[in-house]
Amino acid sequence: MKLFEALGGWIATVPELDVKMRLGTHCYHHAWHAELWHKRLPELREMKPERLTQPANEAMVRFIEAMTEPEAPELTIEKLVGVYRVLIPHFIAAYTYHRNNTSEITDAPTIRSLNFILQDEFDDWRDGEMMLQSLITSPADVERAAAHQAKLESIIVEAGGIAGHGSIGPSTVVDGPQLTPEPTTPEPTTTEPTTEGDA
Amino acid sequence: MRQFFPVEDLARDERFVQTNMAERIKDPRVPGGGSAKKKSSRSSTNKLTPDRHDASDRARGLMHGIMVGEIQALEGAGRTAHDFDAGDGSGDTIPFALKLDMARQAWDEARHVEISAKLSTWMGTELGEFQENTVLFEAACSNDPVLRLAGVNRALEGLAIDVFTQMKEFGDLAGDPFLEFCEDWMLADEVTHVKMGSDWLRKVTENDPDRRAKALEFQQVVDKLFSFGGARGDTAESSFQLARRFRELAGFTDDEVETIAGLDQQALVERKAAINAMQAAVADS
Ligand SMILES: [Fe+2]
Ligand SMILES: [Fe+2]
Repeated sequence: MKLFEALGGWIATVPELDVKMRLGTHCYHHAWHAELWHKRLPELREMKPERLTQPANEAMVRFIEAMTEPEAPELTIEKLVGVYRVLIPHFIAAYTYHRNNTSEITDAPTIRSLNFILQDEFDDWRDGEMMLQSLITSPADVERAAAHQAKLESIIVEAGGIAGHGSIGPSTVVDGPQLTPEPTTPEPTTTEPTTEGDA
Repeated sequence: MRQFFPVEDLARDERFVQTNMAERIKDPRVPGGGSAKKKSSRSSTNKLTPDRHDASDRARGLMHGIMVGEIQALEGAGRTAHDFDAGDGSGDTIPFALKLDMARQAWDEARHVEISAKLSTWMGTELGEFQENTVLFEAACSNDPVLRLAGVNRALEGLAIDVFTQMKEFGDLAGDPFLEFCEDWMLADEVTHVKMGSDWLRKVTENDPDRRAKALEFQQVVDKLFSFGGARGDTAESSFQLARRFRELAGFTDDEVETIAGLDQQALVERKAAINAMQAAVADS
């Protein structure tokens, strides 16, 4: 929801006509995704309606604020970087993780929606990357884009991804070298649903 | 990003030249604008037909106007999807489904921008060759979403229905199937957008008759302003007609269509009286 709102709001703020049109198209794609989840989430027994549209955590709130902050007409690169180099790649990762870990039989309706949505995300990411490459034409532009990406990426990492920690599964990072593997217990084959989030 | 975005800050590349409604009304080249009697046409009717000597320039100007109108419609729909939180429609909120409809409209308008830009090129026009009147976005800047529905979706997109019907007919008469069919496709979308405006306006103001009355009053102001001194209407003096059938499909009642026809007629009478008064003043001097 936050993503389609931001794209809709930015249309009037970007001077590049091709970007304006593409933001309008993508605004609808993400609104449709929000509509699919609006219908699907209440059907999932374990989901509490009051949790459905809450941000995962405070860092995620800060991420959305930082991503939607650029408004001036000369900041198209920053607007596009936030969406197409940070948020959408995180969406793709989280959706893919969830699709691969949920039940193909009982959760088939979710998987069907995820597949439609992922197709849009890949297409839109490709459009976004092409727009960015058309705008990034100098070493200074490269630095601008990279700096903004790093700033936003740091916040979303702090948030643990779009749906909080566990967005793409349990962390595999360990503190320091582990010379002797600890005895392991079998990993569960499914995880908690992580579909709630504010985007 | 601010919650509301002022019309003066609309972002454009260097090709565009903008104007507003006040400037446009002062411009004698615009129907209903300025004081001088027009000498631009020898035709007995003001209707845009291919046999007019000025048909090409007028059609190109109109097409360019449609294109910049589509850009602002795209921007306005996007802003309405952004500016208001999802809620029950009271205060600063709009229903979630209305936000979704606005996003859908943004997609449609994005395609219309692309279609109209290509049609403009096809007709031999360069982007920015004519001025851009920013009034549509102005109507989309209201802090009350219901006024946006009345001013943009009902009044201005209603006007788009009339203009597209005229352009479609012009394409047919001129033997230009590209223009004819492109206008027809866009017309179908516009009917949907106007219907969205009609349906949501009724729904959101269901229990608030004052708010509804205020919105309809605003719509009438915009309708009359955009009659361009009676340029829209059912007479031979009008440049384009009120597309009654499509307006009906878009959720206008018979009474509402008659009200708009009455406003068009009133605007025409006022324009003629103003021209006569000015001519009399010139003759006396
Ligand atoms: Fe349109
Ligand atoms: Fe429209």
